[in-house]
Parts: sequence; structure tokens; C-alpha cells
Amino acid sequence: MRWYVVRRLLWAVVATFIILSITWALLLVTQEQALASIQFQAAVSGGDAEAAREAYEQRRGLDRPLWRQYVDYMTNMATFNWGYSTSRGQPVTAAIMDALPYTVMYSVPWTVLTVVFGLSVGLYSATHQYSKFDYAATFVAFFGYAIPNFWFGIILLVIFGVHLDLVPIVFDPDVPVFSLANIKQLVLPVFVLTTGSIASLARYSRAEALEYVQATFTKTAKAKGASERRILLRHVLRPAAVPLSTILVADLLGLFIASSYLVEVVFGIPGLGQLSFRAIQNQDTPLVLATTLIGVFIAIVGNLLQDIAYTVLDPRIDYGDR
Amino acid sequence: MSSDTPRRQFEDIDWDADRGVGLTRQTTGFLASLLVLATLFVYDYLRQSPLFEPNPVLRDGWDITQLDWLFTLSLLLFCFYIIAPLWTNRRMAAHYWREFRKNRAAVVSLGYLVILFTLGLFGPLLVGKPSVELIQGYQPPVGVAVDNSVPLQCAGRVANGQCYGSWAFPLGTTGEGKDILALVVLGMRVSIRIGLITSFLIISIGATVGTVAAYLGGLVDEVLMRYVDIQQVFPSFLLYILLIYLFGGSLLMFILVFGLLSWGGTARLVRSAALQRSENEYVEVARCAGANATHVIRRHILPNVSGTVITNLTLLIPGLILFEAGLAFLSLGDPTIPSWGQTIAAGRSDLGSAWWVSTVPGVFLFLTILAFNFVGDALRDALDPRSEGNT
Repeated sequence: MRWYVVRRLLWAVVATFIILSITWALLLVTQEQALASIQFQAAVSGGDAEAAREAYEQRRGLDRPLWRQYVDYMTNMATFNWGYSTSRGQPVTAAIMDALPYTVMYSVPWTVLTVVFGLSVGLYSATHQYSKFDYAATFVAFFGYAIPNFWFGIILLVIFGVHLDLVPIVFDPDVPVFSLANIKQLVLPVFVLTTGSIASLARYSRAEALEYVQATFTKTAKAKGASERRILLRHVLRPAAVPLSTILVADLLGLFIASSYLVEVVFGIPGLGQLSFRAIQNQDTPLVLATTLIGVFIAIVGNLLQDIAYTVLDPRIDYGDR
Repeated sequence: MSSDTPRRQFEDIDWDADRGVGLTRQTTGFLASLLVLATLFVYDYLRQSPLFEPNPVLRDGWDITQLDWLFTLSLLLFCFYIIAPLWTNRRMAAHYWREFRKNRAAVVSLGYLVILFTLGLFGPLLVGKPSVELIQGYQPPVGVAVDNSVPLQCAGRVANGQCYGSWAFPLGTTGEGKDILALVVLGMRVSIRIGLITSFLIISIGATVGTVAAYLGGLVDEVLMRYVDIQQVFPSFLLYILLIYLFGGSLLMFILVFGLLSWGGTARLVRSAALQRSENEYVEVARCAGANATHVIRRHILPNVSGTVITNLTLLIPGLILFEAGLAFLSLGDPTIPSWGQTIAAGRSDLGSAWWVSTVPGVFLFLTILAFNFVGDALRDALDPRSEGNT
């Protein structure tokens, strides 16, 4: 098992390496395009196209040999020297550090609520199959999944912010983290995100738990007189948790990255998603690159953790020959 | 196979040729239509002007884009490999329908999707591109009354200082005076394109990679599956963001990025199913009788996994439609193609007075995703013979 974990770890490093290389190649292609347009402009305005090209290459460090550029790019990435954001007037890493707390502020309660509600609704539906609660839960799950997050967010803002005046319409980044005002302005984003993500977890956990509700070892436990709670936690949840952990990481991460853009823009939260979005609008290449790559790294680390969790959670799986 | 076929000696069976009459006809039909399509494509490519000039029926004319060609190809595949087999195999189709019909919500959803598909396919030819006309901005939908100060000039009946919606704009207009009905129909076109083209890409690549990996095994399997690993880890959303930043956004790019990067799950599904099925007795029997790998894959493996793959797709497509709407909402989509997300974004600031601008496309988006989910759920029960009895 240790060997398996080491191999997974090495694989994560290789994957990071490949992804960084692809990004480098993409950047190279667009730089060629930018160069062509600069040369064209210089020629049109009567300047010297060749001189414009040299000046541009000098400024961007493009006059060095390709392998040198590649090595420099990789070392910069590895040493967190991610460049300077022109639109924000600060280093990219500083901009990210400024934005990160706001993303954490809504994503932690969101993850906790999703896991708690998703699992409990799913387990309850499985043990009370075809009951009224089961149907209601299925309906709510579908509803939450189908309603577009960003549209739901706007509608809720209009109802609760404008008409009922219960929550502030404009996000205030200066209120203390643990205060009533902050909770008030985070309620809607967390609610919108949770309704969107509960669905998949609840449905998957229902399906997984159903397999074990009828299993012989659950019946044995019941015959022995084990309590309802003990059966649910020890005999149903434990084996079901293994496949669920995969869904949790893969599904939630994908959802998380995409919704962080939408929800932060709709609610005006100055987190990572909005930072990236503004960077795209302002054509701030280092910042766009850094904010998207952070998402990729989170995904790689998440997948790594999930694979390791798999080995810990399920002693039945033998990794000897993998 | 009909009953009057003479009994054949076992050894006589030509495993490569014996694929039934229906399938051959189907393949010839497909190849013939493909040829017609290719000829048209070459003709259009050599001719510089649009294929359809503006005329009374197609109001703005129709310049066929790369996206249209790709869409037509997917449509052909859909007709020949989903509709045609169902048509020739009436008994099986009837069985699926009986199973499917048990879920009433799914039947309604299927009806909705069929209407959406028809409207999205033919509607855009008739409605034309909505134009900006500020004078007719903020018209309420039919059956809704708003304060007369909201629209600049009420197109419908005015009574008691209230402006009533008129049939000139059944779903109202946006602040710029664009007809929302036209925007909604054009948005349907975007959705069905995403749905069909990405399914075509995902099924063809995923099924090929999955079966090849399972059948060849060894190094090929290892390389393909490790590649799928990387692809699954890499969030396609972020790649798309990076690509539109570098090259500018378009619907074609959205479809290509998500179609070419989302087949990983399907490939894994097909591979594991293929590995499982190839252990089964019937595969062994076929192999002992002299069937080659292609025959086993075609006749025993692919039909067995098709149910899972189609179900998986019906749950994947709504996610992609939602993604596109979200990106269009952030104005990171294709600015030239009207879509639901764009209209929602356009009406966002007017929600207080003209609530219908964002709400109408939002409701359509919601219903479409809901319908796909219901249909997918029912398909899972109907198509998977192993799930019978214990749903």
C-alpha cells in the first residue's frame, strides 16, 4: 500500500509537469500572434517592424533560446515567482493571498453543509425507500441541481435583498470574519451553492447505501439486536463511504471551480473566481495564468488525496499488483 | 432474422459478413448521406458566397458555418444509429417504451425535449436575428401587466396606467427591444447543438478508447488509461477559460473543448464493462466458435454497454448546457450567438421593474436541465436489463 501511495504521489508530480508544459506551449503560440500584430502596427504607422519586434522580444525575454525560456518558466512556477499583475499593481502571489480568504469564507461552510445534508438525506432516503420523504427528497434534489446557480442567486438577491431588505445587496469585504453582518451577507451564496451540490451527493449516497441496506451482514447485525444508528453508521455508511469519497472529490471540485466564478460575480465577493474573471477582462496574463493554474493544482491534490483515502477507507482493495 | 432463412451449417457462418440485413442497409444509408454531405461541404467551400441567400422563408439567409457542418454530421449519426435501429427493431423499441412509460415525469420531459429539439432545429430559420430597437424595449409578456412607465411605448392595450402585453411580443422584449421569444428559440438551437455534437464526440472517442484499451491490454491500456487520468484531473472549465483568454471565445471552441475533454468517464465505463463482459460465457462461446475481436466488440460488448453510455450522456449533457449558460452569463461565451445565459445577464439589472427579461430564459434553462435529468433517470431503468426488479 505504501508503494501505491508513493506511485500516486509521483504521478501527481508528473501530471503537474505535463500540464505546466502544455500551458507554456499555449502561451508561446499566443506570443507569436501578439508579436505579429505588433509588427503589423509598427509597419502601418511607418515605424520599423524589425526594431519593434526586437524591442518586444527583449522586453518579454523572447530573444533567448527556447529551452532557456522553458527552464526559466518552470523554475519561476516552482519557486512561486509568478510575475507581476499590471491591472492590480501588485505581485500575483499577493493578489491571490488577498482574494483567498473570501473564497474560503463561503466554501468551508458550503462543503460542510453539503456533506452533512447530502449524506443524511441520502441515507434516510435509502432506509425509507419509496416513502413520502424519499419522493420529496428526490424532487428537491432534482430541483436544486436543475436550477441555474447564477439565475437563482440573482432572483434571491432581488427577493431578499431588494424587496424584503433582509440581506445586504452589495458585499462588504471589510466586515470582521466572525460577525453577524458577515454571516448575513454569506447566507445567500452558501444557500445557493448548497442547493446545487446536495443533489448529486444525496442521490449517489442513496444509491450506494441501498446496496448495503439489504446486505446479509446488515441483516445479521439487525438480528443480533444492534441499534438502528449503529447499523447505519457501521454497516451501511462505512462500505458506502468508499465509492462516495470519489464522487465527493471529483464532482464537488469540478462544481466548486465553476461555481466560484458565477457566485462570486453575482454576489460581488472579491474571491479567487472574481480575481480571475477581472484578470480576463483586463487582459492581465500573469494573473489569468496563476488563478487558473491554482484551480488545476487544487484538482490534482484533491484527486491525490481521494486515491489515498480510498486505500485507507477500504482494506479489502489489494494494491499489490497495481 | 426471418424464419424462412435456410438453416445454415455452423461452420458456414462468416463471422465478418453476418451482421444482419438491417444493419447493412443502415450503414449504406449512412455512408450515402455522408457522401452527399461531403459534396455539399466541398461545394460550399469552393463557393465564396453563402449557400442560402436571404429569401422570404429564411429571412436573413444562412451562411453555413463549421458548427453547422459538425451539427449536421451529428444529426446524421443520431438518425442512422439511434432512430433507425429503434425503427427496425420494433419489438425492442416497444419494450423500452413500456419500461420508460412507467415514469410519468420522464414522459412529460421527453415531450418537452422533443418540442425543444424541433423548435431549436427549425425555429431559427423562421424567426431571424432579433434586432436592437430601443423604442419597443421592456414590453411585458402576454397576460402580464406592468406600470405604464416601464416600457417607452406600450405595444399592447393601456388601461388604468397599466401596460398589458401584446401578441406582437408573446414573451415580451428586453431593454434593447429584442423579442424574447426569438432569443429563446435561438437559445434552444445553442442547447441542442451542445447536446448533439458533444454526445457524438464523447460516444465515438470514449467507446473507441474504452474498447481498444480493454481489448489490447498491456502497454496500450496503461498509456490510454493514464492519459484519461490526466484528462479527468484537468478541469476543462479552466482550460476553456485559458483558451478564450488567449484566442477569444466561440461556441465551436466551447463544444470542441468540452466534447474532446469529457469522454474520459465514458471511456472508463466502456473499458470496465468490456473487461467484465469478455469474461461472460456468451463471449467465450462466440470466441470458441471462431468469432474475431471486431465481431465480439460489435455484437456483444457495445450493445451491452450502450445503455450505460446513453444514460451517462443524458446526465452529462445538462451539465454542459448549464456550463455554457454560465459562461455566456459571464460574457465569456460566444458574443455573436444569442443564448439563454446572455439574455439572463442582459436583464439582470432590470429585475426590479422588468423581471421577465431574466426570468423567461431562466425558466427555459431550468426546465431543459430538469427534463434531461428525468429522462436520464428513466432511461437508466429502461435500458439496463440488469437493474430490472431492484430499482
